[in-house]
Amino acid sequence: MTQTTYENTDKIRAGLKKRYARERRFRFYGLMAIAISFLFLLVLLVNIISTGYPAFQQSYVKLDVKIDPAVLGVSKDATRDELFKANYARLIKKTLNDMFPGVKGRKQKRALKQLVSKSAAYELRDKVVENPSLIGTTQSFWFLAKDDVDVFMKGKIDRSLPESDRRIKDYQLKWIDKLMAEGRLEKRFNTTFFTAGDSREPEQAGIKGALVGSFLTMLVTMSLSFPIGVLAAVYLEEFAPQNNRWVDIIEININNLAAVPSIVFGLLGLAVFIAFFGVPRSSPLIGGLVLTLMTLPTIIIASRAAIKSVPPSIREAALGLGASKVQTTFGHVVPLAMPGILTGTIIGMAQALGETAPLLMIGMVAFVADIPHSILDPSTVMPVQIYLWSDSPERAFTERTSAAIMVLLAFLVVMNFMAVLLRKKFERKW
Amino acid sequence: MTNLPDTKLPDTQLSDSVVANANEPRGMDDVHKNEEFDVEINGTLGKPFVDNAKMSSRKCDVFYGDKQAIFDVNIDIAQNEILAMIGPSGCGKSTYLRVLNRMNDTIPICRVTGEHKLDGEDIYAKEMDPVLLRARVGMVFQKPNPFPKSIYDNVAYGAKLHGLTNNRSELDDLVEKSLTRAGLWKEVKDDLQKPGTGLSGGQQQRLCIARTIAVDPEVILMDEPTSALDPIATALIEELMTELSAKYTIAIVTHSMQQAARVSNRTAYFHLGKLVEVNDTDKIFTTPEHQLTENYITGRFG
Ligand SMILES: Nc1ncnc2c1ncn2[C@@H]1O[C@H](COP(=O)(O)OP(=O)(O)OP(=O)(O)O)[C@@H](O)[C@H]1O
Ligand SMILES: [Mg+2]
Repeated sequence: MTQTTYENTDKIRAGLKKRYARERRFRFYGLMAIAISFLFLLVLLVNIISTGYPAFQQSYVKLDVKIDPAVLGVSKDATRDELFKANYARLIKKTLNDMFPGVKGRKQKRALKQLVSKSAAYELRDKVVENPSLIGTTQSFWFLAKDDVDVFMKGKIDRSLPESDRRIKDYQLKWIDKLMAEGRLEKRFNTTFFTAGDSREPEQAGIKGALVGSFLTMLVTMSLSFPIGVLAAVYLEEFAPQNNRWVDIIEININNLAAVPSIVFGLLGLAVFIAFFGVPRSSPLIGGLVLTLMTLPTIIIASRAAIKSVPPSIREAALGLGASKVQTTFGHVVPLAMPGILTGTIIGMAQALGETAPLLMIGMVAFVADIPHSILDPSTVMPVQIYLWSDSPERAFTERTSAAIMVLLAFLVVMNFMAVLLRKKFERKW
Repeated sequence: MTNLPDTKLPDTQLSDSVVANANEPRGMDDVHKNEEFDVEINGTLGKPFVDNAKMSSRKCDVFYGDKQAIFDVNIDIAQNEILAMIGPSGCGKSTYLRVLNRMNDTIPICRVTGEHKLDGEDIYAKEMDPVLLRARVGMVFQKPNPFPKSIYDNVAYGAKLHGLTNNRSELDDLVEKSLTRAGLWKEVKDDLQKPGTGLSGGQQQRLCIARTIAVDPEVILMDEPTSALDPIATALIEELMTELSAKYTIAIVTHSMQQAARVSNRTAYFHLGKLVEVNDTDKIFTTPEHQLTENYITGRFG
C-alpha cells in the first residue's frame, strides 16, 4: 500500500517538469496571439489616425469685404427678401479681384475665385440678412478656403514638383504666399466637419447628417430589437414547451437567421417594408427596421445563453416561496441574466452601427445634404457616409473618410464603455 | 394528473424480478453481496395512514423521463405532526418531498401520477393554483439557494410577494422575527444589507429557513435542513421545528437517525423509490417490522 503511494509521488514529481513546460509554452502562445492582434489593431489605428487627423483642421481665408449695395445689386433700404436674393458671389469675386489686381485670362480668374469656398457667398448672405446695417461698411470675415488650398496648407502638395504635376499652379502659389504673409490664411479647428451635412464640396462636407442618421437608426434598432429579442429569448427559455417540434424549428431558424448575409435583410426590407408597407425609403425608420431584423438573432441567442446560465436553484427558490412564473422570470432570472443580455445587445448594436450592405438596398446610400430631424427624414449613416466619401476623387475627401472612421470608432468605444458600465451595475456576486 | 393507461408498471416488474432473484440458486458470495435485494418490498408496513391527515398521497409514482424514481407511495401526513423521512441516498426522499408542493413541475422531464391532497383538496387538480399551493406548503431545499440579494431582501421577499405586511416597520419586525427563529439574527443583524450569498454554507441554510418561515406556510417541507449546521445551530433548528409543529405540519428529510428520533412523531423509511415502512418514531427505532428498515437503522447499509 505505502509502496504504491510513494511510487505515485515519484511519478507525479517526474511529470511535473513536463507539465510546467507545457504551461509555459501555452502562456507564450497566448501572449503571441495577443501581440499579433494588438499589432494589427495598432497598424490599423496608426494608419487611420495619421490619414484622418488633418481633417480636424481646416484652412480659412480672411477677406476684407466692402459690402457695396451696387455690387450686390440692391438699394440701401432693400427688403429682407431682396437682400436674400442679392448677388453675394459677385461681391466675393470683386473683393478677391481687388486684392489681387492684374489677374489675366479666364483660367486664372476662375482659379482666383476658387481660393475661397462657394460657401463664402452663403455665409456673407446670412450675415447681411441678419444685420442689414452692415451694408455700405467694410468688414473682415474668415471664410472656408477651397479644398485645394486646404490640402496645400496641410503640406500634401509638394511645391518642388514641376508645375504641370501639381494641382496648385505657380500663380496660385503666389496668391497663397501673399495671403500667408498678410496673415490672411490660417488653419483652425474644423467645426464644419461636425456641424454640416454632406456636400459635394469637401471643405463644406461634415458628418453631422450621418451622425444624426446613425443615432436615429440605432434608436429605432435598439428600441425594437432589445425588447423583442429579450422577450423572445425569455419565452423560448422559460415558457415554451420543452421538446416541442415547433419550438425546435423556431430555434433552428433563429440560429440560421444569424448566419444570413446582411444584404439579404436589405432585400427583405426593400420588398416588405418599402414596397408593401410603404415605409419612406432612405429614412432612419426603414434603416432601423432592417437592422432590427439583422440584430434580433444575435440578441436572442446571447440572451438565451445568459438565461440558461442562471442556476435553476434560483428559480426553485422563488417558485418555492410562491412566486408566479412571470415574477420569478422577471424578478430573478432576467436581472441575473442582464449582464449577458446586455453584452449580446451591445455586440448586436455595434454590428448594426457598422453595417453598410443592407442599407444600400433601401436607399440610404443617397446623397443627403440635410440633417435629418426625425426618423422619417431621408438620411444616411456613418458607414455609408464613409463609403461614399471613400469613393470620391478629391484629396480632401480621403482625409475626411479617415476622420469619419475615427468618429465611428469613437462612437463604438463609447458604446462599449457604456456596456461595461451597465454590466458593472447589474453584476451580482453569487 | 392521472395514471396513463399505457404506462408499464415497473413496480410489479421489479418485485417480480426480486422474487425471481430470490428463488435463483447462487453462491454464498452472491447472497452476501445482494443481501438487501433478498427482501421483498410488498406495500408499506406500519402505520402510513392517519385520521387527521393534513396532506396525503395515494398511488404516487414519479418518473424522470423513462426512469421511475418513486414507486406506488401511499402515505398521510397528520395535522401538526413532524414526519421524518429517512433512507439511503438516491432513494427518492427529495423527489417525494417535491411532489407535495408541485416543485417537480419545474423539471420538464418529471412526471408525477397518483392522488395528492392538501386538506382534502387535490393539489394536482386544474383548479389548484400552484402559486397558492407553494405559499401554503413552503419548502427548504437540500442545497441552500439564497437569492443574490441582501439578507433583508431574502427574508422579506415572500412577505412582499404576497403582501403580508402593511408597512416597512411590520416588515422589519417580520424579518427580525424570522431570522431570530432560524438562529441567524445575532450573526447578521448588523449586516442585513449585505448579500445573502456572502454567508457561510450553514448561515445560508438558516437564511433559507428564515425565508421560508417568514411566509408562515401551513406545511413546511424541509430537505436536510441541518446538513451543514454545527450541533448548536442544529439543536436550535430542531427546537424551532418542535415549536412550529404546534401550529404547522412539518415533513423533514434527514440523514441523521438521531435527529429523526429527537424531533419526529412518525418516521418513514424509503428504499429504492419505495416506501418500506412508516410508523411512530419510537416504534421504528425500537421494533422495526421490515428487515430493510432494521438493516438501515442499525447501520448495516445506506
Ligand atoms: N432532476 C432529475 N433528473 C433526473 N433524475 C433525477 C433528478 N432528480 C433526481 N433524480 C433521480 O431520482 C432518484 C431519487 O433522487 P432524490 O434526489 O429524490 O434522492 P434522495 O433520496 O433525496 O437522495 P439524497 O439523500 O442523496 O438527497 C435518483 O436516482 C436520482 O438519480
Ligand atoms: Mg435529497
